Amino acid sequence: MWEFFIRSLDASTIFLIAGLGELIGQRSGVLNVGIEGAMLFGATLGFMTAQSTGSYLLGFLVGMAIGGLLGLMHGFFSISLKVDQVVSGMGIWILGFGLTTYLGAPYAGPLGMDRIPTVMGLSPFFVLAVVLAGAVWFVLSKTSLGLQIRSVGEDPSVAEVSGINVSKTRYYCSIMAGMLMGLSGAIYSLDYNPVWNYNFLQGWGFIALALVFFSLWNPFILLGGSVLFGTFWQLSLNPQLVLPGLMSRYVWRMVPFAITLGVLLMMSTKWFRDRWGSAKPQALGQPYFKD
Amino acid sequence: MLLKQIKPGEIVLEARGITKRFPGVIANDQVNFEIKVGEIHAILGENGAGKSTLMKILFGQYQPDEGDVFVGGKQVKFKSPLDAIDLGIGMVHQHRKLVPAHTVIENIILGHPGAGRIIDLPRVSREIGELCERYGFSIDLKAKIWQLSEGEKQIVEILKSLYRGAEVLIMDEPTAGLTALETEKLLASVETMSRENLAIVPFITHKLPIVLRISDRVTILRQGKVVASFETEHATEKSLARELVGRDILIRTERTTVEKGKPILEVQELSAFNDRDLMALNGVSFTIHEGEILGVAGVSGNGQGELVEVLAGLRPSVKGKVILDGKDVTAMSSRKRWQLGMGYVPADRNHVGSIGEFSLVENTRMNYYFDSSFYTRGSLNQHKMRAFTQELINEYGVAAPNPEVKAKNLSGGNLQKLIMARVLSRNPRLVIAHLPTQGLDIGAIEFVRNKLHEAKENGAGVLLISEDLDEIFSLSDRIAPMYEGKFMDIVPIEQARRDAVGAMMAGITLEEEI
Repeated sequence: MWEFFIRSLDASTIFLIAGLGELIGQRSGVLNVGIEGAMLFGATLGFMTAQSTGSYLLGFLVGMAIGGLLGLMHGFFSISLKVDQVVSGMGIWILGFGLTTYLGAPYAGPLGMDRIPTVMGLSPFFVLAVVLAGAVWFVLSKTSLGLQIRSVGEDPSVAEVSGINVSKTRYYCSIMAGMLMGLSGAIYSLDYNPVWNYNFLQGWGFIALALVFFSLWNPFILLGGSVLFGTFWQLSLNPQLVLPGLMSRYVWRMVPFAITLGVLLMMSTKWFRDRWGSAKPQALGQPYFKD
Repeated sequence: MLLKQIKPGEIVLEARGITKRFPGVIANDQVNFEIKVGEIHAILGENGAGKSTLMKILFGQYQPDEGDVFVGGKQVKFKSPLDAIDLGIGMVHQHRKLVPAHTVIENIILGHPGAGRIIDLPRVSREIGELCERYGFSIDLKAKIWQLSEGEKQIVEILKSLYRGAEVLIMDEPTAGLTALETEKLLASVETMSRENLAIVPFITHKLPIVLRISDRVTILRQGKVVASFETEHATEKSLARELVGRDILIRTERTTVEKGKPILEVQELSAFNDRDLMALNGVSFTIHEGEILGVAGVSGNGQGELVEVLAGLRPSVKGKVILDGKDVTAMSSRKRWQLGMGYVPADRNHVGSIGEFSLVENTRMNYYFDSSFYTRGSLNQHKMRAFTQELINEYGVAAPNPEVKAKNLSGGNLQKLIMARVLSRNPRLVIAHLPTQGLDIGAIEFVRNKLHEAKENGAGVLLISEDLDEIFSLSDRIAPMYEGKFMDIVPIEQARRDAVGAMMAGITLEEEI
C-alpha cells in the first residue's frame, strides 16, 4: 500500500514539474502544446548523456538545456514571427517524437546505473516539485515580476504602456517553461522509469497540458490535480494492489480519463463559472502586435 | 524628478515645429504647443486632424520626423513611453489600458519600480490612499477592474499616472463614456489637480462645452496644422466649431414637430438576457408613432444593446412582444423585419454594420440581397447593384473613389454615411439608430443627425439610442432615460430637464421642485 502511494507521488512529480513549466508560459500568454515533445527530448538526451558519462547531474542539466532551447525556439516562432502557437507547438511535438525515436533507438534498454537514493522510498524530486509549486505561486502572486508576467498574459498592450518589455518577458517565460518540461522528461527517464524504449512517455505531456487548464492556472490546484491523476494512473496499472478483484483492469485503465471528463463537465457549468470565474489568461495563445 | 524644480506659471512641456509624415499624409505639420505648470490646455481637433499623432509624440509612442520636444526647458528624445513616464508625463487613455482581471492596486503598481521586488502591499496601499485623499478620489483599492464603472476605471488610470509621479497629465477624450454625474466629479478633480500644480492636456474631438468649462487655453488642429490657439475666455462654442471645421456649422438646435401618425412600433414588457445570461433588459414597454423620434438616453451597458438587438431580431427575448406596424414580429427573423419596414443602424459599424473585407457594393447588397428587383433570371444583377451603390455614394456624399473599394478603407464618417444610405434608401417605416454619431467628427455628426431628422419628417418613426445628452435633446420628441434594463420614465421634450434626465441615467429620480 505504501509502495503504491509512493509510486503515485513519483508519477505526479512528472505531471507537476512539466505542468508548472506550462503554467508559467501560459500565464505570460504563450501556449506550448508541444510539451510532450519537449519532455521526450529532455528524457532521451538526458538518458543518453547520463548513460555515456555516468553522471546523473549532467543528464539532468542536458535535459533542462534542450528543453530551454526548445522553449526558445517556440518563443522565436510565436513571439518574434507571430505564427500560430498551436502549429508551432505541434511542430515541436512531432519533431520530438520523430527525432528522439531515431536518436534513442541505439540506447534502447535499461539505464544500468545505480538508482537515485530515496527517502523511505520517496523520490527527492517530489519534494523539489512541491517546493517549485510554492515558489511559482509566490513569484506569480506576490512579486512585481509575477505581476508583470500575469499582465503580459492578460493584456500585453497594457503591460507595454506600463513600461514592460512584452517580448522579453514572454521569451523568458517560454524558455523557463521549456527547461521545466525538459527536466520533467529527464526525471521520467532517469528516475521514474529508467528504461528507454519507443514512445515511452505515452502522452504524459498531454495529460500535464490538460492539468494546467484543469488547475485554473493556480500552482496549488495543479499540485492537487497532479497527485490525483498520478494516483489514478497507478491505480489503473495495478488495481489489484489496492482493490483486488474489483472490476477488470481495463475498466480501471479508463478511470483517469473518465474522471477528467467529469471534472471538465463540472468546470463548464454555470455554477462553477459564477463561483470561480474565468481564470484563463485573456491573451493566451495570441501573438502581440504593437499598434 | 526633473519637474519638481519648475515653478507655477513656467512652461513644463513644449513641442516646437513638430512634423510627422505617414505614407500619403502629413499627420502633423509644424505643430507648436506648450503648457505651463497648473494650466489646463485643451487640444481640439476632429478625427484625422492629427490629434492622436501629436498625443503619441508627446507620450513617446511616436518619434517626430522634424521638430523637438522640451520638458522643463530641456530638449528630450523619447524612445518609448517609458522615457516620457520617467520625465513625469502621464497618459489617461480613452480605451482604458488596464487589466480587467487584476485589482485596482495591481493595475496602479504595474511596472512601477518603487513597488519593490516583493510587493509591499501595506505601504503601497497607504501611499495610494494618501494620493486619493489629496485629490479627492474615492475608490476601493481591492476591487477588480471589471467590476468598476467607466468613471472609476478612469480614476484608476489617473491614479496610476499620479503614483508614477506624473506632473503633466495627457487625457484622451476625458469625458467619453462617463455619466453626467461622473463627468461632474471628473471636472472637479481636474480642477483640484490643476490647483495642485499639475499641467493637464485634454484631447477633445467635439465636446465643446467641456472645453469651454475647464480649459485655460485651447489649441485647435485641423488637417495636421494648428489653426488657432487662444485663451479660452475669448472663445465661444460657435467660434470653436468654426475653427474646428473651417466653416460655419449648423449644430441642429431647431427641431421641427411633425404631425404624429399611427403607432409604428409597440413594445410590450420586453425582457432579454445578455451574453452572460443575466437579465439585462427588464420589462420595457413603449410606443413609437410615425413622425416621431424617441430618444433613449443612457450610459452604454444598461440594456440598450440588448433592446436594440431584440428589436432587430438578433437576440431572443424571454418575455414580451414586439409589434411592428400592427404585426407581431416577436418571432420573426431579421430579414422579415427589414422587409416589413424596419431599418437598423448598428453601433459597431466596423463589425456589425459592415464587413471590412467586402466592397461597398457587397456591403450595400446586404440590405438588398432579398429584393427581386436586383435579380435577373434568378441570379444577382451585379451591374444594377453597382449602379445603385454609385447612386447612394453620390447622393450621400460618401468620399470613396469608386464603389469597389473595401469598406475597411473608408473613414468612420464615410462608412456611417454608407450605412445610413443603405438603410434609409429602403424608405423604412422605423429606423433604429444605435449610437449613430459615436466617434464621428462634427461634420459627419451634423450629417447623420440631419438625416435622422429628415427620416422623421418623411413620416418614419425613429428610435435613437445615445449617450450624448446634447444629441438626445436636439433630436428627440420624447426622451426615455434608461438605467439597468429599464426605462426610468418617458418624458416629452417640452417637459424634459437636462439635470433630471442626467440623474435618471444614473438611476436617480430628482424630486419635483414646484
